[in-house]
Amino acid sequence: MRLLGVFEKDSKEMLLLQDKNTFFIQDRDSINESFDNYELLKNRDKYIGNGKTEGSGVFNFRYGPVTGGVSDAGVFNIYTHGERILSVNIDPSYKKRGIEKLIIGNDIQTSLMLSQSICSNFALSHSNAFLTAVEDAGNFSIDTTTKRIRIIAAELERIYNHLYVIARLSKGASQNVLTSHLEGLFEESLRTNQIFSGSRFLKNLNGFFIDKNTIGSLNEIKNRTEKIKKDFKELYSHSLESWNFIDRIYNTAVLTGKHALSIGVTGPTLRACSIAEDSRTYNKLYENFHPITKDRCDALSRMQVRAEEIMQSCEIIEQQIDKISSEEQHKKDIDISKISGMGIGYCESPTGLVAYFIELKKGVVENVYISTPSVFGFKAFCDSFVGYIFTDFSFSYDSFGINFADCSR
Amino acid sequence: MKSWALFGITRKLTEKFDKSDKDTKQLNRIFKNSLHIYPIDVGNSGDLNLEMMALSAPQYNIHRFGIFFTDSPRHADILMVLGRPTKAMIEPLKETINQLPEPFGIVVFENSQLTGIDIETLKLPNVVAHIKEEVDAKRILSVLLDIMGK
Repeated sequence: MRLLGVFEKDSKEMLLLQDKNTFFIQDRDSINESFDNYELLKNRDKYIGNGKTEGSGVFNFRYGPVTGGVSDAGVFNIYTHGERILSVNIDPSYKKRGIEKLIIGNDIQTSLMLSQSICSNFALSHSNAFLTAVEDAGNFSIDTTTKRIRIIAAELERIYNHLYVIARLSKGASQNVLTSHLEGLFEESLRTNQIFSGSRFLKNLNGFFIDKNTIGSLNEIKNRTEKIKKDFKELYSHSLESWNFIDRIYNTAVLTGKHALSIGVTGPTLRACSIAEDSRTYNKLYENFHPITKDRCDALSRMQVRAEEIMQSCEIIEQQIDKISSEEQHKKDIDISKISGMGIGYCESPTGLVAYFIELKKGVVENVYISTPSVFGFKAFCDSFVGYIFTDFSFSYDSFGINFADCSR
Repeated sequence: MKSWALFGITRKLTEKFDKSDKDTKQLNRIFKNSLHIYPIDVGNSGDLNLEMMALSAPQYNIHRFGIFFTDSPRHADILMVLGRPTKAMIEPLKETINQLPEPFGIVVFENSQLTGIDIETLKLPNVVAHIKEEVDAKRILSVLLDIMGK
């Protein structure tokens, strides 16, 4: 069982929990089990890390919120004697926008827009998790074609995010030829998103009904993803032969499977520890889907999982496009203004599980809790970075695919 | 398989760029041939940070226009403010502006952000462009070329 969140409801402390494909909330007092990541989730908006280190010669190297090394607004308090990292504490408050508070009191459509604005590079995952939570609360299902369009969009999101992460790793290792080509592919993938949805970050696409005639040409999307797959495959095989690149990420920021599970990490970070867990396996529309795993638990393994997932995502998109082309779409009548109740929704974002708990009353959000993968990812980064040196910072940080926008909401 | 270096030079990805912008003013004639930029995230949702990466893509090839990113505000001609600021980022933003060498300009991209404070209330100095709507890498490059007077 995995703890995904801690929040207040009716003056009681509730836990958002996951047991394989079952997501539920439970009163903390009624549960006997203890969770290693309870304190992490309780304090996720104040600090994330493994504490301050004090002692002779130890100082706090404060990195951020304005630095050329990290593009996001956030602070890393790195405790060191000057070489080895002793502990890391992250202050996520600089990017805190209070979006959960903004969602409360709004209707479903406005809340959907706010959920997309939490983290633009996971906009589709957040909107998917929010909408499936509403579907759960209203106890209704949507048409299969819309579900397939959501899958295509989710895989497009995975492709450009993974390309971004691998390009960042390559840039950190000064692999200029590889970086330039990966940035070129990254731009092409954003343009593919634009053709598909009208937005480079797949915003304003999602809903309870997405008309297949209003999205971009599926044939063009198929051709473009095929080209991305072919070009990336060639680049990736080249990159694995570049030893001065591989040496920088091999055995860097090692996070064991046991430790990853205790933190609650999901996504490529967990799969890089040989744990074949992926919430896409719970979706029957993903046919013959097998999570990609690696076993070294380091930055290289995380990059390899992401690289192979890019090619896997291209294949999933092609499969779904073939299915959509041959099926008729029927719109279901759904009156969202009358939905009342509680619901939980989730989506496998490029970095891990995004989960939403919501309470609705006549189509208005009364309560919401958002569990984001970057919270767990930041803790994983802090723990895995201890014992390494500052030169490893970019390889450690970028390999987790995390960001402050997703973490701080 | 081609050698790595050969692989790099056999693909030409740079595209012809048609500038199509407005609402910006030229900063100073001394920046006509070279412009160094320091981007600062003040609380955007991440898309502008990713557009910065896209701007480095070979399709845009910004170096041909003399545009470069710097790692410190002390080396920058332009401070590119990404998003509408959170309260906590106001002071770091002001301190970053203090570090800019004269002459400098500030460009603000709000990207239709739903959160954050109105940046006009901060009365930032030397604002040469303030774009409120959503922008992509192409539009950002267009704004920069306008600032350079190209």
